[in-house]
Amino acid sequence: MSALADTFSNFIVRQSGAESARVIEFSKLSGGAIQDNFGLTLELEGGDRPGRQEFVVRQDAPSGVAESLSRPEEFRVLQAAFGAGVTAPEPLWLCEDAEVSGRIFYVMSRASGSASPRKLVKGDLTDDQRRHLVRRLGAELARLHTVRPPMASLAFLDMPAGNNPALSRVALYRRYLEEIGEPHPVLEWALNWLEDHAPEPGPTVLCHCDFRTGNYMVDGDELTAVLDWEFAAWSDPCEDLGWLCCRSWRFGGDDREVGGVGDKDDLLASYREVSGADIDPAAVSYWEVVALVRWAMIALQQARRHMSGEQRSLELALTGRMVAQMEYDLLNQIPELEEGQ
Amino acid sequence: MINEPDSRDLLTEARQVLLDSLVPDLAGEQKYQALMIANAMGMAIREIEQRAQGEPDATDRSLSQFLAGHQLPDDPSQGEQTLARALRDRRLDGDDPELRSVLKGMTEARLRINNPGFLK
Repeated sequence: MSALADTFSNFIVRQSGAESARVIEFSKLSGGAIQDNFGLTLELEGGDRPGRQEFVVRQDAPSGVAESLSRPEEFRVLQAAFGAGVTAPEPLWLCEDAEVSGRIFYVMSRASGSASPRKLVKGDLTDDQRRHLVRRLGAELARLHTVRPPMASLAFLDMPAGNNPALSRVALYRRYLEEIGEPHPVLEWALNWLEDHAPEPGPTVLCHCDFRTGNYMVDGDELTAVLDWEFAAWSDPCEDLGWLCCRSWRFGGDDREVGGVGDKDDLLASYREVSGADIDPAAVSYWEVVALVRWAMIALQQARRHMSGEQRSLELALTGRMVAQMEYDLLNQIPELEEGQ
Repeated sequence: MINEPDSRDLLTEARQVLLDSLVPDLAGEQKYQALMIANAMGMAIREIEQRAQGEPDATDRSLSQFLAGHQLPDDPSQGEQTLARALRDRRLDGDDPELRSVLKGMTEARLRINNPGFLK
């Protein structure tokens, strides 16, 4: 571990033009089967960032997942988001030379607070603090969604097929089900419904695609960083809004639609204030259904990784048994939407 | 062959020892892992119990009746496969209350094993 700390520290010294660095703290951070995240606190002498500095170093874990962005791609997405004013860790330096640490990695600033969903949802925030946080979430998404194609630095991101993100998701998930090979009539039924009820697509924007409680850091009632950018894609703004509101990500705070924290009205009002765009709540509800199907797909794929022997894991196995929950939510939520129309 | 106490009893007791005697002394990652183990054992216990009560046969029978009523092959071992394929091929009306009720029945049967607390 300490050799790795020195490797990263030396890299930072070179990049920041510092004269020297002293490692104050180095530890592996929790979370991320796809990446290893390390917390690194340095005392830097001279250079661009003198003094005590807290960094996070993110590098590929041995078991990479093909679906997500590579580290260099993720770094460029983070640059675009940070440049648009999103409260994200500041992307500092990318190291594409695998000789340095054995893997490709990048360094970003470290945010304060916690990303723990249970701490946040079960925590003792007042209603005003919850509203404040939900409004922040809306504002962050509004800023992120100002990033639009074409963008040379994000040329690696595909445009949604037929310029229709919803229908291209439906086609993708049908393909996934085909590959998984296990019959899931409820998911087939939900995909048909999504195909038949797709709203007019909104503008194509940069979406985070995993923007939910658990993937942003909160310190008190302040959002300090939006994390985990590896699923970013060009898509419909409502994909992010729907994922954030999906019933699966409320962590026991079921009546608080926005990630177990607060109300959708506040989210959409703040989104409108920052972006000027009026979002149809029905389109968000539609994308909440997409979100349930997507989470079911991810859970099925995780279970497959366990069952195939690729990565034996009790956690992955249990995730597979969660699919019935998403299916149950689909069977309740779709009729609710139909009644509301 | 009689071999008692039976597997349901063994699993139930083992899970209780885990929860009552071991989990209170654990913290962090180890506690999380122990609770996952208890969760997995709970599912296995409920699966044994459901089987003793005639599941999944009862759910399979209602699926089989639905398929027969819609001129679809009702081979009991292929029921879900047939239903999934018929939906993919758009051979069934998604608004049909009978279809929705079959789908719900299958899903509820799974949840009674996987997570009964999730059922409203």
